Amino acid sequence: MNCIVIIEMGTAAVRVCAFDLSGNLISSSKGHYPTFHEQPDHSEQDPEQMFITMLYILKNLLIEKIYPKKYTVTCICFGSSMHSLLAVDKDGIPLGNAITWADNRGKKEAADLKKSSLGEEIYKATGTPIHPMSSLIKIAWMKNHEPEKFRMAKKFMPIKTYIIQQLTGACVIDYSIASATGLMNIHNLTWDEAALNFAGITPEELPDLHPVFYSDLTLKKEYQRVLKLQPTVKILIGSSDGCLATLGAGVWKNRMATITIEDSGAFRIIGDKIIEDPKQQIFNYLLTEKHIITGGPTSNGGVIFNWFAKQFGDFREAFDIDQSMEMLIEEAAGVEVGSGGLIFLPFLHGERAPIWNPNSRGCYFGVNIRHERKHFIRATIEGILFEMYSIGRTLEQHRHIESLSINGSFASIPFCTQIIADIFNKPVSTLSHADSIGKGAFLLSATEMGIYPSLEEASKTVTMHQTYLPNAKNHEVYAQYFKVFESLITKVAEEFDFISDLQQRYSQ
Amino acid sequence: MNQLILRQGISKELAHFSHILEFAHRKNNTIQLNSFNSNVADCICLYYIVDGKFTWEIDSQQHTLYPGDFAVILPGQRIGGESGILNIGMLFWIKISTEDCGKLLLGKWSGLTKKEKLAINQILLVNKQQLVLKLKEAHLLMQNLQQELQNEEVGFYTRVNQLLDELFVLISRQLIRQNNSRRDFPQTFLKLEQTLRQNLAHQWTVEEMAALTGMGTTAFTEKVKSYSGFSPLNYLINIRITEATKLLKKTEVNVTDIALSTGFYSSQHFSTTFKKLTGYTPSEFRKNKTPDYQYTS
Repeated sequence: MNCIVIIEMGTAAVRVCAFDLSGNLISSSKGHYPTFHEQPDHSEQDPEQMFITMLYILKNLLIEKIYPKKYTVTCICFGSSMHSLLAVDKDGIPLGNAITWADNRGKKEAADLKKSSLGEEIYKATGTPIHPMSSLIKIAWMKNHEPEKFRMAKKFMPIKTYIIQQLTGACVIDYSIASATGLMNIHNLTWDEAALNFAGITPEELPDLHPVFYSDLTLKKEYQRVLKLQPTVKILIGSSDGCLATLGAGVWKNRMATITIEDSGAFRIIGDKIIEDPKQQIFNYLLTEKHIITGGPTSNGGVIFNWFAKQFGDFREAFDIDQSMEMLIEEAAGVEVGSGGLIFLPFLHGERAPIWNPNSRGCYFGVNIRHERKHFIRATIEGILFEMYSIGRTLEQHRHIESLSINGSFASIPFCTQIIADIFNKPVSTLSHADSIGKGAFLLSATEMGIYPSLEEASKTVTMHQTYLPNAKNHEVYAQYFKVFESLITKVAEEFDFISDLQQRYSQ
Repeated sequence: MNQLILRQGISKELAHFSHILEFAHRKNNTIQLNSFNSNVADCICLYYIVDGKFTWEIDSQQHTLYPGDFAVILPGQRIGGESGILNIGMLFWIKISTEDCGKLLLGKWSGLTKKEKLAINQILLVNKQQLVLKLKEAHLLMQNLQQELQNEEVGFYTRVNQLLDELFVLISRQLIRQNNSRRDFPQTFLKLEQTLRQNLAHQWTVEEMAALTGMGTTAFTEKVKSYSGFSPLNYLINIRITEATKLLKKTEVNVTDIALSTGFYSSQHFSTTFKKLTGYTPSEFRKNKTPDYQYTS
């Protein structure tokens, strides 16, 4: 029996899973690695640790779970989070840690570029909003602040490229990851001259560009031996987590969108055309040359409810944060829609789409004497979902959306899924599989192997689990509160900058 | 309660307790110059503030201590009053000698098991920078210590040492509590990772690692496994190999030195573990790294 192995290099962990050729999950395993925050705006990971963890998890999965079940691995496909950046020297040796998407060190570089006409030109060419998350800004920051490291760097690459290079020796990047760097021209599929000039680099300092179906890669003999893999195993470059999650969410149809909420979150649609947004609020990333994933990311998804649970959850009995979160959700379920008029702006991490303001901050608004803890719990969840709605409405200016598919941690909480249906006033479906990134990577691999004739056909195999219908009355209430939510963001924009500045100056 | 200053070799109350160098319960009514000059400690010095406000320099940092605060100074750390004065107020202090030139802090007098002693040792050393704790519970312990030392009632020898043990357990637990929130295991895990990386050559046991997080070994092992996907020892090996990989790539340090500095027993142990995971022996890995990756500029 043959199987396909998927390696997902996520922000917090590597997940390795195996599917049989019919798309059934055989087994999966996960290994975490830490994120280091040496300075408040910095967010880094150790590339060697990520590689060793990946190798360890992959080896254990193969030896302990796949081979005993008599499976032969025919294809290995890669997925990874977007926007990471690693600088390596002439020998391919990392010059420090990899910088993650959550890193905000390039705030000033991003703000300056965004104000200029060059910023607009680069956004239009690359499809990536001008923000510290992108490789473009991270490289520019390094050029300005770490000139010696910048001079020593011979290649700039995302973590996925580094992992593939370790395993195969090839320095390659797929279109989907490349289109999220802010350095690739998504119209002509080359590195963009204006972006490269701004960053101060040449195309030779970046990996070779390839479509997501590229598989002209060979695993090094040592890894074939240690992982007991055949030399013929296909190594597929794969795609980014966002593009794979969209593919794995079955939203191929024109009038569907997908919502992903893990630590961060995103609202995405898929189409054959790039959608240009004059306000530069949305991204366009390529799954393939003909399949564009358009959407907006939030930095304030599940991580915010996790923060709330840590601060205000009950830990006397429950040891675990998950247990505490369950208890909080139970408590919130008893509160009326709209949390008794308590509104939460969830921007604890600054925010990306649609406002793209790293200085934005959190805020509870409308607190009155009758509000209790349970109102704050529900308001926190509603605030996170109002923010998703805010992104969705931006996308709806360009595309009519009739229904939603949801994946990620919130998808497994019916209470949250119903709130999404009510806020959006659209049916929301959960998927019959838990891991849409893994499923998307499987569909990509299976299409490349000829099991499906096209990605469209492959996506038809995605099945929905349960559909939540909107409650019109609840929607009416939410619509009114959302007006306040939206208006607040605009009204306190200046105060966000002030408070952020004060926090930088006076907080340790 | 009466004031008291007991000193080893002078006060008969300490005759049975060679490890207690000094015990004091002092009410300081006046400011005197040179009453608390800055000195490097050669023993463990513990101070509990009963009353008043004390501003001290500890390890080059200024700390203001209030009632209920407890300062822990380990051998090699410097302590003294601002401008050399003790400030006005009431406090307890106790100075305890360490066994084995400071490597093992709690000596033979302690009734704790060896494992417990090692764990406390580790917790104190790792939290060396956390010099001041909130520890109101220490007040009663200090009072009891004073009574036992002064009254010498039946069983006083055992009681004094028990109280000292209790004090160290209390300090260790508080250090962990202040450091590791039960609400945030990922944060605790990150701190553990940083501590392990700082001293990879140390032969960490699961008990020691668990002690750093304030958990029992069973709960710790389960938690680490469900969070990281690794058993604690495999997680440690993961970090060892990670650091060794960097050293193999970056320096010309010989393989045995890399093995020992990253905590492997020998170059053979390192070689076997490294090859098992990567398919390369460390020497092959070092030899092979360049041709694959060399970029043309």
